[in-house]
Amino acid sequence: MKICPYCMHSNREGVLFCEECGQMLYTEHTEQRAASLTKELPAGMGDLSAKGGWGTARFNRSASIVLQIRDHPSLIEIVPQQETIIGRYDGSNSSVPTVDLAPYGAYENGVSRIHAAIRRGEDTLMLVDLGSTNGTYLNGQRLIPNQPRVLRDGDEVRFGKLVCYIHFKINS
Amino acid sequence: MQDLYAVLGVPPEAPEEEIRQAYRAAARRLHPDVNAHPGAASQFREIAAAYNVLSDPKERARYDAKRAELLPQRPYFTIKVMPSSRIIPVLDENQVLYLLVELVPDPTITATHTPLNLTLVIDRSTSMNGVRLERTKMAAHRLIDQLSAKDVLSVIAFSDRAEVLVSAAPLTDKNAAKVLVTTVQAGGGTEIYQGLQAAYEQNCRYAGKNFANHIILITDGRTYGDEQDSIALAERCAAEGIGISAMGIGEEWNDVFLDRLASTTGGSSYYINSPSVVQRFLEERLRSLGQAVAERVTLSLAPDPDIIVENAFRLAPSAQPLSCETDPILIGQVLMRLNTAVILTLQLPPIAEEGRRSLLRIVASGDIVWNNHTSYQVVADVSTEVMKHPPAEEKPRAILDALSKLTLHRIQQKATEAAAQGDIRKATRLLETVATRLLESGQTELASIAMAEARRIASTRAISDEGHKALKYGTRRLLLPSGE
Repeated sequence: MKICPYCMHSNREGVLFCEECGQMLYTEHTEQRAASLTKELPAGMGDLSAKGGWGTARFNRSASIVLQIRDHPSLIEIVPQQETIIGRYDGSNSSVPTVDLAPYGAYENGVSRIHAAIRRGEDTLMLVDLGSTNGTYLNGQRLIPNQPRVLRDGDEVRFGKLVCYIHFKINS
Repeated sequence: MQDLYAVLGVPPEAPEEEIRQAYRAAARRLHPDVNAHPGAASQFREIAAAYNVLSDPKERARYDAKRAELLPQRPYFTIKVMPSSRIIPVLDENQVLYLLVELVPDPTITATHTPLNLTLVIDRSTSMNGVRLERTKMAAHRLIDQLSAKDVLSVIAFSDRAEVLVSAAPLTDKNAAKVLVTTVQAGGGTEIYQGLQAAYEQNCRYAGKNFANHIILITDGRTYGDEQDSIALAERCAAEGIGISAMGIGEEWNDVFLDRLASTTGGSSYYINSPSVVQRFLEERLRSLGQAVAERVTLSLAPDPDIIVENAFRLAPSAQPLSCETDPILIGQVLMRLNTAVILTLQLPPIAEEGRRSLLRIVASGDIVWNNHTSYQVVADVSTEVMKHPPAEEKPRAILDALSKLTLHRIQQKATEAAAQGDIRKATRLLETVATRLLESGQTELASIAMAEARRIASTRAISDEGHKALKYGTRRLLLPSGE
């Protein structure tokens, strides 16, 4: 028996969406995954979690972010600007994101052309949804458009259906 | 012509002993004494027949000699089954498992030229007067243009009685047929049975294994008192291999009735909110009818005795609830380059033992009209692994996507039921849930319809016909592969 956390309806085991309210009952095993993935990082980056520490929001001037896209082998390193726009470049000149997710299945996963942005704060990074069609999710919670939220090391960010993990790489 | 080895699930070079064991294993699961499911009975008959041939060395040798030439070199379509979990837990209560069943056409088949035997049934009741009837006539003209001389066409117009405008015959004179369609005038009530009865008679004149037989009904009204007769007629159509597609224009027609009419025969039902799109729907239907790799495709499900198939829903080529009380289930066609997909919901009993466990046997069967191959079959025997502590696994994306939309569609139906029973609070809550989920998946237009209905129901205590149909067929359309 599985009790839906949203409507308290008891569903039979194996039911993936609550039969009463339609909420997804199945949680993807993101924590385990993120932890196992850090082990797979190339040798040069092996010590990044030791310096930053899981869950930290501290992000100094010389730090960068490593973006790990789920089910994709390559890592994207981003040196955050004052505002780093994440989206999908479709070949037109009207909207060019700083980080283009098109090669990582952005279109199939419903990433907007201008989807979200990472903004630099004083000693932190903020994630903000820029009114995307399919939403931006921080650790499973949908962001309200244009309301920045603090980004931490190890966070799971979802653009539409494209799941990414954020790792801080603090250079000493 | 069936592959008897596939029926028994053994390789063609299997020794006698293996064949006997396969038969015994099937008997323990599917024999009518242990399994009451109608699918089990029919599948077991086939297995027993196959065993009779293969267990006799002389008969087997005779069968082997002709087997090579009777079976196709490449399978016309294959069957693929994906479970929501590869490994399920040992559990002392019921659990649910979803199966995505796909019929995959041979990708090298690129042209089939299946001749059509098509009957168009046009509602000419008073309410069709004006733009609805005019658009329907225009769409019929376009349809006639697109048919070839090999196709057979008949056209019926009905109100409270039916008249045959064009009798079933190969379409040699397109202009004559068009002129006859033009003469239709609106007037009278809506008695769908009258129209269907005439359509059935016309279609039967050519209905056979050499055609894709189909009736397309276009209506805007509710029929009274003849629903039961119409469904009985649809069952006769299904038995003759005639599919029915129903297109409802506007808001007044009876969606539950038209859905049943269509799903009884493996056809589809559509909601047409504006007369200007009749043509698009008709063209869409015609295109898919002419592109079939297999016609009259059925699924026979034989679950193990302790397993219940709760629900079957066709996701592609068009979304449609299927009735899983009868065996076999009619699912229509397998089209070129497009997987036909059905999602099944199974309820499993408490399971105490680890190890391999069989779930159900599926037989998909269809007529390959363009290659004169009737009752082509593929078999899948589905089983799963049971463990005390199954490892965490990612759920297949395809199943999650389909289920999230299917659940939405079901909740919308529950809201309708709640409203019909007068439980306004529940209906409001469910409609708000639908709106939230739609908004989350970016369907803002449908979401606002759901919100408007949720507000409306509080004051009027009923869902509007228009909102109901927009939500029902809108959430169903979300299930299409293109997401359109």
